[in-house]
Amino acid sequence: MIRFPILLDIYQRGEGPLKRVERISLPEVGDYAIGRSSENQIVLDTPEVSKRHAMLVVREDGIAVSDRGSTNRTFIGDIEVDTSPWDGALPVRIAQFEIHLVAQSAAGETRVNVPQDNATRALAAGPAASAPTPAPRGQSIEVALNAPDAPDEMRFPRNIFKSEIVSASDLKTSEYFAGECTYLSVGAGLGSFVWADHLRIFGVSKGDIRAIGDDVIPYANYQRLCRNSQIPPHERLRSNAISTPDNIWGFPGYASRETWKELKEFRFTGLKHILQVFGEASLAQSFTPRSGEVFKSIDSETQRIGWREMFVSGRVLGIRKTNDERYAVAYRVPEDQARGGVRERVMIGKFLHIATGYPATRFTDDLQAFKARFPEEARVFNAYENHEIVYRTVESKPGPTTVVVRGRGIVASRIIQRLFEARKKNSGITIVHQMRNPIGKNEGYRYKRAQRYVYNHIENQAFNWPKACWGGQILREVERATPEERAKIYEQIGGTTTADRRDWRNIIQLGIGDGWYKPVFGHFETLELVKTDQGAKIQMKLKARDSQPVVDVLADFVVDCTGLIGDITHSPCLRDLVETYKLPRNPAISGAKTGGISVTPDYEIPTLRNGSGRAYAAGQITLGGPQPAVDSFLGLQYAALRSVDHLAILGAPSVSLFGPLRSFSQWIKWCTNTAP
Amino acid sequence: MLPTMKGRWLTRILLFLWIGVPITFIFSLMVAGPRSPVLPFVGWHYDILPFQILSLLLLVGLVLDPVYIYAQQFRWERDWPFAFQFFFSIVEFVIVLALVWWGALDFTRPPLDLHTPENYVIFVIHFACVFIPSFIAVLGFVQIFMIRWRFKGGEWGRM
Repeated sequence: MIRFPILLDIYQRGEGPLKRVERISLPEVGDYAIGRSSENQIVLDTPEVSKRHAMLVVREDGIAVSDRGSTNRTFIGDIEVDTSPWDGALPVRIAQFEIHLVAQSAAGETRVNVPQDNATRALAAGPAASAPTPAPRGQSIEVALNAPDAPDEMRFPRNIFKSEIVSASDLKTSEYFAGECTYLSVGAGLGSFVWADHLRIFGVSKGDIRAIGDDVIPYANYQRLCRNSQIPPHERLRSNAISTPDNIWGFPGYASRETWKELKEFRFTGLKHILQVFGEASLAQSFTPRSGEVFKSIDSETQRIGWREMFVSGRVLGIRKTNDERYAVAYRVPEDQARGGVRERVMIGKFLHIATGYPATRFTDDLQAFKARFPEEARVFNAYENHEIVYRTVESKPGPTTVVVRGRGIVASRIIQRLFEARKKNSGITIVHQMRNPIGKNEGYRYKRAQRYVYNHIENQAFNWPKACWGGQILREVERATPEERAKIYEQIGGTTTADRRDWRNIIQLGIGDGWYKPVFGHFETLELVKTDQGAKIQMKLKARDSQPVVDVLADFVVDCTGLIGDITHSPCLRDLVETYKLPRNPAISGAKTGGISVTPDYEIPTLRNGSGRAYAAGQITLGGPQPAVDSFLGLQYAALRSVDHLAILGAPSVSLFGPLRSFSQWIKWCTNTAP
Repeated sequence: MLPTMKGRWLTRILLFLWIGVPITFIFSLMVAGPRSPVLPFVGWHYDILPFQILSLLLLVGLVLDPVYIYAQQFRWERDWPFAFQFFFSIVEFVIVLALVWWGALDFTRPPLDLHTPENYVIFVIHFACVFIPSFIAVLGFVQIFMIRWRFKGGEWGRM
């Protein structure tokens, strides 16, 4: 049964995290038209939305979504739909908008003004979207929302986090108090999920674990980045068969599962995946799983361990030690969960885990400047933001078009592949691939006795680090090294690489032969918008490293594939934590200006130790520490295993030592999809 | 596989104890000939020869492991593909056969009894019976019991 009014949140994709632009309310049963023109009840006014795009059919017993023959189609999650029932588990996606169904159970308690009619103007998120804030991205928008006129120390959570150590009893009597638990994870992304998965399998019940974060789907952010960087569900990730975030044992891996699935349908070609694992990386290309399969497997594990019951929706704003050897986490819940108008909450936990991931996408300075000067021109993009318009435009307008792809990593390879596909619709597309400097055949990175293989000025490597970073000799060497030695090792094994995929190599070969792929070396000095016979273009002056003359490049689009920012100070909550407790940092690596939070090989943050309370970190925020591959699936699993093992040795409640028998019996439970 | 030196040795010993020894024991009962020593308490015949071969295989492996580790240093990924592992396991067995042929086990019994074609056929069957389950175990079954094994380069124990 549907309870009215139905609340829908409309989010818009842009730079950085999804931004909520509107909350609308559907008061009664009816058909609600969605489209660009004003005759629709729900108006989404951008060119990518068709005039009459889709219809929400609301009945007493459920909601359905139907596409009205739109140009860019309508999706539920990742699945294109014509007409389909919609349960709200996944958002309806229309161009750069996402429509989320606000939880029905909480809807009755909200203090949102229900609009008089079914129009979409108005409403709650208005201040969030329009408030002028010093930092345009990251989480600072949310911080400013709360009492914008109040001085800093009056604002939540400053008003309760007045000192380094806060009184637990004061917090428990405050209006913000939301509960306490033994294991509390901050982030609720893949890092938190994998940690909770280990805890559950090691014996902790779901009532003792809480994870606070933006989205109940642990891979939501990762999936968005995949989608934007042109990895739809059927494309393969750069991840190994045994990197299984849904299975702590890494067995069966994704290769055997894919083989099994195909064998069940009598497709014996599936055996090639097993042979790939057998021969990788010397005799065969490394196996990599399809993104859609990975997400499905995580869905199934979230069900098995009861993730939804552990998940707490909210944005974490601050963390403090308490005077009873625990940790307090301040966060703000979504509006629909406000309690008497209060959205601020504090939860207290004995063992804290911080895994907040990448704070932002990176924009190189010249692109940032261009964007600021020509805000109307949708021409320069970071590969991790939604840039579908590039492909749509180059595919729909036959004729000469130039796209500059910047960077030499895996994302650049994938974007070039996508543009290669676009060439089937428009053979006038030229790809200018900009790299900082040429790399000769024998100029690959060296570490000890080995050297990395170079092809077409790009260093090749199956994954983003040498394989032994995930559990062999290099991991051991890095773990045992001092911070200074680590920095040196990272310098020798780091750098941008792509995977040695046969199809990608063929594309480059073909492109060089036919002249539509041009590698250029150097950096662009200026980006200008110029008018030409073929319309406006971006004019760039390419300056090579040595004293070669400056070359003019005219392009229609620039896609920057140089990555995400790993700098933890871009997150206000982490910056506050680092400053308050003077947390030591790792040396800076991988082009970041500063390193991650320094952790022990057990992933504990030693400075945050609070009596018998312990704080751990995992993922990107620990970059440059005891493990190179912190932001990978397997790296997160390793970090989780280390910290949960550490908890077991400390004697933390319900965490077993996880010997062979328990491991085996838990594995059987995984196989039979029984709760741990 | 991403083995370390110690990991290679410990994994070898692990597979020897948990797969090699039990399978060889069963195998020895089945192939025991009339001249074999006897297990008096159950009245079964038991031939020690397969166990000697297995031990020789372990020894050859332990000696060759440093060579593999040295070769691994020249690989950028510092890995050891399953295919290599498969190939060199067979090489190790061929070395064992050669050692037996040259008389490494001659002290145990009259060479005329040892160097018969039937015996060499039995060696091959025995090797297959031990090698196939061991290789499958390394492909993933070990980590069902020992979750930390894969991160420790093949070593046992806690982190």
